[in-house]
This record gives sequence, C-alpha cells and structure tokens, in this order.
Amino acid sequence: MPVRVIGLSGSPHRHGNTERLLDAFLAGAEEGGGDVEKVVLKDLSYTPCRGCNACHKTGECIVRDDAIPLFDRILSSDCLAVASPIYSMGITAELKGLIDRAQFLWARKFILKTMYFSDDHVRRHKGIFISTAGLSWDNVFDAAFPAVTAFFNTLGFEYYDNIIANNMDQYGGIQGHPTALAEARKKGLSVVGVIRKLKGDS
Amino acid sequence: MEIKVLAFAGSPRRGGNSETLLDWVISAMEQEGGVAIEKVALTEANVNPCRGCNACEKLNKCVQRDGMDYLHDRIIDADCIILSAPIYCMGICAQAKALIDRFQVFRSRKYVLKLPIVPPERKGTRMGVFLSTAGQKWDHVFDGAVPSVKCFFHVVDIPDRDIRYLMVNGVDEKGAILSHPTAERDAGQLGRDVVGELRKRRGE
Repeated sequence: MPVRVIGLSGSPHRHGNTERLLDAFLAGAEEGGGDVEKVVLKDLSYTPCRGCNACHKTGECIVRDDAIPLFDRILSSDCLAVASPIYSMGITAELKGLIDRAQFLWARKFILKTMYFSDDHVRRHKGIFISTAGLSWDNVFDAAFPAVTAFFNTLGFEYYDNIIANNMDQYGGIQGHPTALAEARKKGLSVVGVIRKLKGDS
Repeated sequence: MEIKVLAFAGSPRRGGNSETLLDWVISAMEQEGGVAIEKVALTEANVNPCRGCNACEKLNKCVQRDGMDYLHDRIIDADCIILSAPIYCMGICAQAKALIDRFQVFRSRKYVLKLPIVPPERKGTRMGVFLSTAGQKWDHVFDGAVPSVKCFFHVVDIPDRDIRYLMVNGVDEKGAILSHPTAERDAGQLGRDVVGELRKRRGE
C-alpha cells in the first residue's frame, strides 16, 4: 500500500527558507517510496473562517472554495506536513486561515460526533510541522505550536515531529544552516518507513 | 487635545463576543469625555496578508495597495490602539493575524531602517489594549495569541509595560459574554483606567 504524504506550504513567499525545508522533507519522503504531493496555499483560493458556526449544526462548511477539496485530500493522506515561516511570532495568516477552516471537521468530531478517529488510526497518521524563523530566540516557535497541535488533533494525525530552524537572518537563509536541509530529508525518508511498517502491522 | 483611539474589531463575526467586549471598553472611554474613537471592523477593512516580499525593508512602505493605506497614518496618530479578536484553533483568528503581519512595514522602519515610528515627544505616551474571547475554558487558550499581539504593539512603539489585556475564556456562542459574571464590569474599568493613564502621561 502506498504511503501518501501531503505537504502544505503556508508561506506567501515562493521558494523561501520554509518551502525549501518542506521540499527537502518531501524529497526524502519520495526517496523512501512515498506518494508525495505539495500544495502551495497561496495558489489556492480560500477565505478564512467566518465564525458563523453553521457547521456546528450541519458538519458542513457553507463556504465552498478550494479549502474543501483540500481537506478531502488531507484526510486521505497518511502523513501531513504543515509548513509555515514565523511571522510576528506566529504562523502566517494564510496557514491560520486554512487551520481555522477546519472548524467543520472539529464540529463533526466534537459536537456532532459523526467523525471519529481510533487511537490506531491516529498512530498510523503522522503530522509534521516545518518552520523557519529569522530570529534566534529559542522561544520563537512556541506560539505556533498550539494552533498546529489543534489542527493535527482535529484531522486525526499524531503530532509526530517538528522540523524547525531559527536564526535564518544570521545564517543568511536555509542553505547556510549546517544541518537543517539534511535533517529534513532524513526525517522524510524515515517517517515513510515508520508509517509503512505501521500500516503493515495493522 | 482629544485622545485618539483606534479600535480594531478583528472577528469575522460582527457583534460577537470579542466585539462586544470592545464595545464595552469603547463606551466607557467615551463616557470619560475628550476621547475620539474610530472603530474599524477588519472584515470590512480590506487588509490582505503580508506577502513576505521584504520590500518594506528597503522602501519603508508596503508594496500592496489596500486598506492599510487608509490605516497607516491612523495607526501612527493614535494615542491608544485596541485590538479585539477571538481565539480560533488555539490562535488568534486569521483576519487579525493578517493585520498583525502587515505591521511588518513598521518593524522594517524601526529595526532595519532605524527610523522613528512616532515623533520623539510622543514616545512613551501611547498605549495598547488586547481584548480577546475564547470558547475553550483552558487557562492556556490565549498563550498562542499573546506573543503575536506583543509584536503588533512593539513595532509601533508600544512596549510591554504599556499593553493592557482583557481575555475572557469559556464564551463560545454569540452573546455568551452577556451572561459572563465579570466581563462587562472589567471592560468598563479597563476603558476608564486607560483613559486616565493616557491623560496622566500627557500631564493633564
């Protein structure tokens, strides 16, 4: 069975540090035999959540745009890599816009209880957060984690790992970082193997 | 001289809990007199996300022409900036994050180009207020939002000590805040305190 890997690039800036880190991860996943897809969020057309709570009654989002088929693709993936640079100590508005749109799935899971992920399902579905930040502060990613955690939880993915690199301003970009790209590639390769083994076991 | 307040309603839901909190603060400020308040609903303000192009680091202005053109001078002129926004998925809603990220032009001005944000005589006279609501009851539900809010204020010369917070958890459905035991009273007190503090700083 193929291991499907989907990578969301949440940066408005094409081929920047974060997207290159995602690319390295996806290249590793492909090397490991994964079925790899990259989605550039800025090329899609979707609006942020309107907060109307209509989905709390129906489990469906009333906004019909590119976010809806994307969630179908995410839910049929074995590995979800979510990539965003840190802007103003948080993830980008593009990625937050998509995360907020998962509210209809949250409603299915927690309000309507029409969607359920077994522990085994969650264990077999791995979520990976990929990020870069210009600042050197150790805490520069801290405010991004809660929203990413909530996103993986809602979608039935185990929050498996972070691939993060700070201090980009100092390194002059990701290519100047001593280990980040190689580490991302290695983690891509390894997570596909881990998922394949778990799928074989079940 | 009138105290100028620029108040952002960051929620996509008009008249919801975080905007109600804002309206309570605004109305208390107005009752103090001598305060000119402009309220901006972000859903109608046409503020697009930052493109991450970094052009502002050289140009000292943003290459995007949208609602920020209108807001730019008002952000600088305000004596007090209020941001209200709900928590969605453990973070500030995407609409408010877009506004925060567009403050990159001020960050570039301040830290890259080393130019002033406000004239020297106005430094230390400005204040910021963050108002938020969340459906979850967890104490840590605001933790993901606060660091971004600090950036938002820091880059326009409003340091930590000049930021006031009122964050109310456990309010989800529209109108839930109306039955909260302390929110309205706390919002009124906050509005009055901030006006008093701003007056003091001007030597009034």
